[in-house]
Order: sequence, then C-alpha cells, then structure tokens
Amino acid sequence: MDALVLDGVTKRFDTLTAVNHLSLCVREGAVFGLLGPNGAGKTTTLRMIMRIMIPDEGTIQVLGQPASDRTQDLIGYLPEERGLYQRMKVREALVFLAALKGLSEAEAARRVQTWLERFELSAWGEKKINDLSKGMQQKAQFIAAVIHQPPILILDEPFTGLDPINAALVKDIMLELRGGGATIILSTHRMEQVEMMCDSICLVNHGQSVLAGDLRAIKQSYGKNTLRIEYSGDGNFLDLPELVESVNHYGTVTEAKLKTGADPQEILKTAVARGVRISRFELVEPPLNDIFIEKVGEAHA
Amino acid sequence: MRKIWLVVKREYLTRVRTKGFIIGTIALPLFTAGVLILPIVMAKRQTGNTQQIAIVDQTGALAANIVAGLDEKLPNGQPAYRVVRTVDQPGDLSGLRQQLRAEVNAGKLDGYFIVPQDVLTGKPAEFYSKNPASELTSLGTIRRATSGAVISLRLKQRGFEAEKLNDLVRGVEVTFIKITREGEVEEKGQTFMTAIVMAMVLYMTLIVYGVMTMRSVLEEKNTRIVEILVSSLRPFQLLMGKILGVAAVGFTQYVIWGIFGSLVAGYGVAMATAFSPGASLPKIDLPVSHLIYLAAFFLAGYFLYASLYAAAGAMASSDEDAQQVQMPMTLMIVLSFLLFTVILRSPNSTLAVVLSLIPFFAPILMILRIAIQTPPFWQIAASLVLTVGTGLALVKFSAKIYRVGILMYGKRPSLAELLRWLRYT
Repeated sequence: MDALVLDGVTKRFDTLTAVNHLSLCVREGAVFGLLGPNGAGKTTTLRMIMRIMIPDEGTIQVLGQPASDRTQDLIGYLPEERGLYQRMKVREALVFLAALKGLSEAEAARRVQTWLERFELSAWGEKKINDLSKGMQQKAQFIAAVIHQPPILILDEPFTGLDPINAALVKDIMLELRGGGATIILSTHRMEQVEMMCDSICLVNHGQSVLAGDLRAIKQSYGKNTLRIEYSGDGNFLDLPELVESVNHYGTVTEAKLKTGADPQEILKTAVARGVRISRFELVEPPLNDIFIEKVGEAHA
Repeated sequence: MRKIWLVVKREYLTRVRTKGFIIGTIALPLFTAGVLILPIVMAKRQTGNTQQIAIVDQTGALAANIVAGLDEKLPNGQPAYRVVRTVDQPGDLSGLRQQLRAEVNAGKLDGYFIVPQDVLTGKPAEFYSKNPASELTSLGTIRRATSGAVISLRLKQRGFEAEKLNDLVRGVEVTFIKITREGEVEEKGQTFMTAIVMAMVLYMTLIVYGVMTMRSVLEEKNTRIVEILVSSLRPFQLLMGKILGVAAVGFTQYVIWGIFGSLVAGYGVAMATAFSPGASLPKIDLPVSHLIYLAAFFLAGYFLYASLYAAAGAMASSDEDAQQVQMPMTLMIVLSFLLFTVILRSPNSTLAVVLSLIPFFAPILMILRIAIQTPPFWQIAASLVLTVGTGLALVKFSAKIYRVGILMYGKRPSLAELLRWLRYT
C-alpha cells in the first residue's frame, strides 16, 4: 500500500497557483524527499496533506483513506515555522500537543518523560519554553511531531539549528522510526542530506512536479558524467571548453561536469602535462545539487 | 469534542494560573472592599472634638435660638458645638472681634459667629474659624440653625407661632411604586441601580474577555504554534475551544467577585444598620426571570463578540495591528452602552424597540429594557433569537477568516482581501 497518494492536487490563492495539478506517490516505509526552490509550493503541499488547507482540486489519500480530520492523527508534522507556547512549561505543552493527536493524557505524560530523557531535556521539563535555548526548543518540537508514533512523519528542515550531536540524534531517531515501519517525508534544501537519506524524491517547481521517482534511478539516468577531482596546483587545467561544461570548486574537492561524449582521459592528460598533482580522479553520477540546479534552471530559462 | 475540551482546558488552566489573573481577581475586590469598608471603620473610630464657639448677636434676639439649633452630635455622642459665650448687642464690635480673633489664635476658642443687626432683612451672618473648609459637613448645621432662628423671629414679629406653622407647612412624602407583571414593587431607585449594574457588567465582560480571546489567537499566531495546532484539529474546534476557555475564565472571575461582593455588601448593610437603626437600604431584588435573561443575553453577546475578536486576532500580525482591527467591535460595544440614555428615557419607544433588536446592541440594550420595564415576551425572544442567530453566523464567518488568517503573516488584509479569504477553503 502507498502511504501517501496525491492526484492532480491544485491550490490557488487569488492569481497565484501555489500548487498546480501535482501528483505524487510515496511508498510505505520509504524516506521521501520533497524538494524545490523557495516558493515552489512545498509548504502549501504539506499543509494540504495535513488538512491545514483543503485542495481546490484533486484528491489526497493517506494510507488508503481520503485525507480527513481523522487522517490528521496518522501523521506527525514538524513544520518549517517552528513555535511552541512560550509561557507554558515544556512538559505541559508537550502533553497537550500529544493529547491533541489522540493520546490519553496519562499515556502522553509517560511518553513525554521518555522522550525528554532521550533528548537530555528532563531537567527542563518544568521550565517555561521561553527559558529554553533555540536548539532545545527545536528538540522539544521534534518530540511533539513523533510522540504519538505516527505511521507517517512529515519533517520540514528537521536539522536546522541543531548542533552535530543533536542532528545525529535526530537522524538516528528517524532511521529507528523508519525501521519500525514509518514513512518519512523530508522537505529540505540540503541536497547532501537527501542523497544520504532518501529513497525517492519529488522535485517541485512552480507548483508542478519536474522530477520524480527513485533517487538512484534518477541519478543513473544521468550517467557518470561528472568528474570528482582532488588536486594541488593551478586549477586552470579545467578550462577546456570543448570537454567541460561547468566547474564547481568546493575547496578541497572540485566537480567538473563533462560535455556529452567528452573523454575524461584528455583532461587527466592535460593536468599531468601542466604539472598538477592529482590525488583523486573519479567519474561519478552528478550530485543531486547539480540535478536540482539544472532542472530548476531549465524551468526558469 | 474531545479536542475542543483539551483546548478549553489548556486555555483555562494557563490563564487562571497567571499572575495577572490572580492579582486581578483577588486583589481588585480586596482593594474595592478596603475602599468601601475603611471609611466606615474610620468614621466609627473617629471621636472628634467639641468645637468651642462664641456667638456675637447684634440683634440681641437670636442667640438662644441659634444655640438650640446647634444640636449636631459627634459620632461618640458628644455635642459637636458648645457655645461658651454669647454677647448680645456689643458696644465695641471691632474691639470684640480683635479679642475673639486673639482667642482663636491662642486656641482658647475654635470659632466665633457674628450675627449682624439687619440679618432679618437678608444681611449674611459670619462664622469665623481657623479652618472652615474642614467643617464642610457642619456648615450645614450652622446654616440651618441660623436660618431657623431668623425665620422663627420673623414669624414671631408678624404674629405667627413658629411651632404651629411648622405643623401647617409640613410636606408629604410620595412613595413610588413600580407596576410589573408579577405585582407591585416600591421604587427607591433600585431599578436604575439594577439596570446600570447589569449593563456595566455586560459592557465590561464583552470588552475585557473579547480582547482576551483576541490576544490568545494573536499569541498562537505569532509564536507559530498555530500551524501545529491546526494540523491536529479543525480551526473551528480551536476557535470554539478558545472562546469557551476564555468564557470559563470569566465565569470563575465573576464567581469569585460575586462571593466577595456579597460579603462586602453584607458587611456594609450590617454597618449601615448599626449606624442608623431602622434605615432600610433600597433592596435590589432580581426576579429569577431577569437572571435567566441576563445569562442568556450574556452568553449570546459574548459568543457574538468573542468570535469577532478572535477573527480580529487572526487578521492581525502584531499588537498594533490588533489595536486597529478590534476598533469596530469596541466601538459597537461602547455605542450600545452610550444608547443607555435613550432606553432609560423611553424604554418602550419605537427607537428603543428597534435598537434592542439589532444583534450587536441587543445584549446590553435588551438587558436594560428588561431591568427598567420588562418588554413583551415576543420582543425578548425575537432579540435573543436574532442575537444567537447572528452569533452562530459570525462564529462560522470568523472561523473562515480565522482559518486563512492564522497562516498569513505580515500585512493586515484589506476589506477586499478579507472577502476573498471567505472564499478560500
């Protein structure tokens, strides 16, 4: 069964069509990346899935049932716009939010305790949310999203504002939930996270799907057309307009996109001839970042 | 329903626990009670001193009567004035004045009184003391005593006997009796009091708790928590829970104030009767039907306005915004209170009837009419039905505005935008 099916979903605001006949399908148990530039309609799409907004056209199915007030409780939601009751105590606020998702208050209280311990927040349970640091608030918010053990989890930029240790903790919990059968929908601008975590993606631009499917298949379809190089010396050996389409310097690593039919051997020869020391020379599939830029750039052109 | 209940509970508990609520609910009545009770206690404790005064009577015929008229007593039972000296028709007035003034300054005398020769033809008498202003209440006694003496003398000069004449010109009391459907009630101003108290309570409630609802919506919007909330329940449920939760806060506050109020009133009555036994305070007795009407209009009015205030909160993005968006509601409530006088003057005029049927004015105005002169039942029923109907429609309307507004940040919507919001789903 599919965890989530959107079919021809459209949402208009006055003259702006935020989401335009968007169809997508998320397999149960998958980690699905919903990508797209700012203003592409990602948040509106997520809000429609959460029944915060209702589509003007099209249907949404959650675990086989049409989206309704009842399917709200099947999904845990971490919105991009973070916020909690500033003047409420951490524990109270979390119990309230968990109870709203259908847990009994006793059960909610028990689980809040477990989660606070896991996130090392148990000393802060009786503190007002106002007194928490931003990162702590972020963790509390994450707890609110996962506490009712929803079969589907929507996380909008779950790692922003977290230090590497807490980010790793959140990532571990995501994998753990996935191991328990949960479906995770990840919306982020961080392409390297998507590459590491997602099975399938949908790239949205101007409210429409421009690229969708299994992430590995998508990358394979582009072929190994990118050189990943580490070197020391003058980088102008890559100025070969007949072979190289574009170059991205990341500091230690440089990625060069090849023109169709270009032989990477020619580039290596040039480099050696100019006395550049090569420590890594690898032909790879294009990074998602490049695919993103290409697809979105195409639409803009 | 469960979700609405959770919202009500959170709203209620977080509000009732705030310092503002505790101070407002407990300290305010304590303060009021203090203001009311302290003067009574002070007055009871206060002994005061008998004023030693002298009377200089240039006519030579009034002093005795004036002394008789100065019969005011201090709270401790001592006379307020003791006339220590009377001088009839003094030879050297200015010398005497100087002497009396010296005695006042030396503290031997508290004041002196000069009655001129032609006081009978209207020349004013003069009372000298160090601080006449502090004795404003006793000024009346002095004035009455002097006037009484002068009038008696005038009458006597024309051959009348003052005592007999007093009998002849004694006035007659008129008792006012209010006819109601239930029977007759003696009117001692309690109708006006009841009306104004009921209207005031409604007026305050609508504004205070309306604004509280608005702030609550604005807070959820500004902290962005609203997005999580509406991903767990319908905006309508959230709105309802909020309105009911604030209503429960208001109810708690009124119950506490009511208990305080009756304690203070009970104490006040006890004190008043202790001071002047036999005095009967105007009894404010509300028929049960009035209480039911009050409750009905109270609720209907609260729902109507609270839902509008909630919509206002959803439209605003900041406190300044909210100040402006709430203006129409606040004006409407203030206006209905200002229409008070129209109702009071002619509670059954066409204007009064029409105004009290308009849902926005109905809660306050119909309650006033009921208190002053209970209108025919059909008018009360029509007004209530209209208010409840409009209230329900406005809750729906506000829920729509709310649904869109809570997710819109930044600019306050124009009227045209607002109308478009109503079409969004």
